[in-house]
Amino acid sequence: MGAAGSKLEKALGDQFPEGERYFGLENFGNTCYCNSVLQALYFCVPFREQLLEYYSNNKSPADADENLLTCLADLFTQISSQKRKTGVIAPKRFVQRLRKQNEIFRSFMHQDAHEFLNYLLNELVDILEKEARASKSDQESSSPSEKISNGPNNMSANGPQKEPIVTWVHKNFQGILTNETRCLRCETVTARDETFLDLSLDIEQNSSITSCLKNFSSTETLNAEDKFFCDKCCSLQEAQKRMKIKKPPHILVIHLKRFKFIEQLGRYKKLSYRVVFPLELRLSNTVEDADTEYSLFAVVVHVGSGPNHGHYVSLVKSHNHWLFFDDENVEMIEESAVQTFFGAAQEYSSNTDHGYILFYERLVC
Amino acid sequence: MADRQRLGARLVLAPSEPIIFLGFSPRLPYPLTSTVAANFVVNFFGEGISMMQRVGSAGNTSNSLRPRKEKKLTYVLNGADDTKHCAGINCLSLLNSLRQDECDYLFTGSRDGTLKRWALAEDAAAWSATFESHVDWVNDAVLAGGNTLVSCSSDTTVKAWNFLSDGTCTRTFRQHSDYVTCLAAAEKNSNIVASGGLGGEVFIWDLEAALAPLSKSNDAAEDECSNSVNSLESSLPCNGLQPIKLSINSSQNATQSQGYVPIAAKGHKESVYALAANDQGTLLVSGGTEKVVRVWDPRTGCKTMKLKGHTDNIRALLLDSTGRFCLSGSSDSMIRLWDLGQQRCVHSYAVHTDSIWALASNPTFSHVYSGGRDLSLYLTDLSTRESVLLCTEEHPILQLGLHDDGVWVATSDSSVHRWPAEPHNPLKVFQKGGSFLAGNLSFSRARVSLEGSTPVPVYREPSLSIPGIPGIVQHEILNNKRHVLTKDTTGSVKLWEITRGVVIENYGEVSFEQKKEDLFEMVSIPSWYSVDSRLGSLSVHLETPQCFSAEMYSADLNIAGKPEEDKVNLAHETLKGLLACWLTKRKQRFGSQASPNGGILSGKDMSTRTISLSRVDVDGNAENDSTVHPPFEFSAASPPPVITEGSHGGPWRKKITELYGTEDEKDFPWWVLDCVLYNRLPPRENTKCSFYLHPCEGSTLQIIKQGKLSAPRILRIHKVVNYVIEKMVLDKPADSMNVDETFAPGMSGDQIPPLDGDTSLLPGLKPRQNLKPSIEILCNNQVLPPDMSLATVRAYVWKKPEDLVLNYRMLQGW
Repeated sequence: MGAAGSKLEKALGDQFPEGERYFGLENFGNTCYCNSVLQALYFCVPFREQLLEYYSNNKSPADADENLLTCLADLFTQISSQKRKTGVIAPKRFVQRLRKQNEIFRSFMHQDAHEFLNYLLNELVDILEKEARASKSDQESSSPSEKISNGPNNMSANGPQKEPIVTWVHKNFQGILTNETRCLRCETVTARDETFLDLSLDIEQNSSITSCLKNFSSTETLNAEDKFFCDKCCSLQEAQKRMKIKKPPHILVIHLKRFKFIEQLGRYKKLSYRVVFPLELRLSNTVEDADTEYSLFAVVVHVGSGPNHGHYVSLVKSHNHWLFFDDENVEMIEESAVQTFFGAAQEYSSNTDHGYILFYERLVC
Repeated sequence: MADRQRLGARLVLAPSEPIIFLGFSPRLPYPLTSTVAANFVVNFFGEGISMMQRVGSAGNTSNSLRPRKEKKLTYVLNGADDTKHCAGINCLSLLNSLRQDECDYLFTGSRDGTLKRWALAEDAAAWSATFESHVDWVNDAVLAGGNTLVSCSSDTTVKAWNFLSDGTCTRTFRQHSDYVTCLAAAEKNSNIVASGGLGGEVFIWDLEAALAPLSKSNDAAEDECSNSVNSLESSLPCNGLQPIKLSINSSQNATQSQGYVPIAAKGHKESVYALAANDQGTLLVSGGTEKVVRVWDPRTGCKTMKLKGHTDNIRALLLDSTGRFCLSGSSDSMIRLWDLGQQRCVHSYAVHTDSIWALASNPTFSHVYSGGRDLSLYLTDLSTRESVLLCTEEHPILQLGLHDDGVWVATSDSSVHRWPAEPHNPLKVFQKGGSFLAGNLSFSRARVSLEGSTPVPVYREPSLSIPGIPGIVQHEILNNKRHVLTKDTTGSVKLWEITRGVVIENYGEVSFEQKKEDLFEMVSIPSWYSVDSRLGSLSVHLETPQCFSAEMYSADLNIAGKPEEDKVNLAHETLKGLLACWLTKRKQRFGSQASPNGGILSGKDMSTRTISLSRVDVDGNAENDSTVHPPFEFSAASPPPVITEGSHGGPWRKKITELYGTEDEKDFPWWVLDCVLYNRLPPRENTKCSFYLHPCEGSTLQIIKQGKLSAPRILRIHKVVNYVIEKMVLDKPADSMNVDETFAPGMSGDQIPPLDGDTSLLPGLKPRQNLKPSIEILCNNQVLPPDMSLATVRAYVWKKPEDLVLNYRMLQGW
């Protein structure tokens, strides 16, 4: 390990800034799903910086207040404050906390990296929202205009008009989808917005992210027994429905649905389809901003042929260089190596390393 | 009387309708909580639960064990006379008279489900007939040979009418399985009509064959049937000697038995929204959501070509008389001119800023009139590309019809306008100025208009208008479940009484939401019907057995001369009211001596029905029970049409005053006939409310044994008060409440005014009445007003799914 570490250090040379750390994460028995996602998040620079900033402002001395957010912040601080540039760290507290909190991740079974990412982000959002609400009501009750009785406070806490709190997690990952339904008779468009932290895309053999996104926002017709009740027509009519990205997020997380339930088999099957993910992605089917450009900075890769076993590794781009993280091992790789993780054009290929979760950062024009 | 006996038989302790003690009853026939009622309602409006285990009707034994969704009965409240449409006009057709002494006619087909004929004069259009038989939107209509008007509808039918009649539907074709959206007729081959619809169905009809009298090769029964084809629409000779089998839509049976099958133009993958045929009927074009124009040979149903170019739904098509050129209008806001000989698009015209829904061309096919979603009607010269804005309507334009020197415009509003158009000399319009050159790229026109150079319409006012009634666009059933608040297209808010079918209050242009709040009443009555407004009027849907769940005291309906506890089933009286004319005519037709099942219901059918309804007494008879309550009375000035369906032939629509009295189980759902003819209602499950009656905490008053009680949902709290008082004063244990006691009021009715009716006043109570202790009833620590019903207490005070708990205590100071 030491040898490998020094080898990496040598490879890194002086092309990387002084403050950047590249640490492997120890595996506690099938925790590669967790390690691969944590590395991707660590190298999501705006997220890391805001987490570290949050941590320095909210250092909680008591262990009683420990939660996933503090554990994650703790881990990231630990990595970033290492003296050495490379090495291995054991994310022990974080994994313990995760297992304590959620039954799904408690077993030593193979876990789904996307499920973990989704759980983690939502958990962080919940914690931050709770804190924001608490501090808000603190302010309210301490404000002089407020009556001593805490009746109104209760009202605002339980009241129907809870205004959504936008946390820094939201600011990084949240985008808005709009679900547009157009009645084919009067052609009135009804739109409904919904937020997302990541996009799950259905995939096809020999396709690209762009085509998967196109399918995602392709038009579905509501017809026959499944007509749409149009408020304008006061009756059931045919309608066309489609999803559009209304507000693209700062960090676009794309989850490729590689695990598909095959009804004939009665179980999940891994789709090893070749899905090309470009280093630079252009989102064209959005509502506002005709074109939004993104740059790929991390890929969580699933290794293996089945859904219930295998391994997760991650590819990360840091300061224009690509690195390969496999639990405690960290290596530098060529950018051209990224395309070996697109998937297989044939079904029974020896290539079982497939991009599973893609992290894109929006380019500022 | 029947009501009383039924209850008496089922619930041993009951007089007509007292609070029933259920403490010792281990099993209730049905759970009586209002959670059940609530679920019931939800399911009712969702897709069908069928509570009835009805034995299948005779001749249909294959699925006799499977519960199925019963047919519903709908009535439409049209607050107007016959001479006005009350919803958007989807289509229009013009008939030029062939003879000097006849006038020209305009035919309009509306979303209100009817077609109307208007006699045209120089500066007037007079209503002359209404064609009423479709049960959903009329989407298109064309004139064909042999005085035939063909219409198509969202009810999936195509209907043929004699257009000079007073509304006679000659045939109904049920070939389509989804909405029929469009029709096309061949001008010079008046036999050919094509119909297109959702799901990509296109059929080509040879009207002569399709409308031919039925062949005589059928068996006797069918022959009989064929003799009375459409007998409901035409007037039938009254023949009392021979039972005449009637079927409203015998045409369907007819077409099927006769075996006429139209030619199908197969190959559409998606819905068809537009059709056109050339004069000779040798060419048919179709368009729809596939965004391509398909060209067919209507004689074979074979596809000859496919034209690509539009980027959205194709909503309007035209062919020139030779069949060489085709014009298409699309939701992509473009008009395209296609040369079918060259199989390519030769021109595209960017004139509109939004979807194009209607096209019409002058006789020489040199100019096109177009209208659509942008409310604008343009005239465009196809060769010079010069275009002019003729006029703007207030609603999206749905169809155009050229006539003389004007153009009739149908919009989503219920009125129709005629504008000057000069179809025989379009240059006249251009001379008025304001023309521009049509672009050839979509959006180019839109950009022009965005830059502020919106063209000025040549004409400001239509030359003629046929007014309609504003259609209802919003509705809300109020809590009393008899009043419905509506808002129409002009913003006018009205209150309807649906058991009489009339507007009882017109609030004018006020806030609908505000009015809804103002009219809020804290009462809970089961939802016994549902309403929709797709026909521009309120359609009230009744379905069994849910519709029979609502009752009211006759006193509250101002029905005099009934005992206080006398109850009216709202759906029962509504149905009797709707079918009052039918009943009268039926009696005349069959004679009052005829047994109710003679000639109409076969013995076999009767027996199955009796079995299925064995829970309910079957002693009812139309002759002696029709006087139990006066039926609700519906307006005679604007009688509502009913839409329903029996065992044969699909749904039909007819005004209640125009029923023949001969309609039977083939035409009406069996449960409607059961209700109206025999006063048999299905077992009702949620007319009761069960509850516990406990003393208030700390109250020493303890008079009644603890146990579950049951009473009608509409029972008022003051009755509960009386019950408590009685128990207290009499100081009798609850189990002494027996049959003898419950019938006491009847036995001593002479001496005691039935003030407290069903709370079993005993003669001995009378002298002590002035000393009545004052009791109040509480629920959730809230004192209940005496006139609140149990159901209301449940819904607004108790608010829990568990059985209601009421508390009683003595008023302070007594």
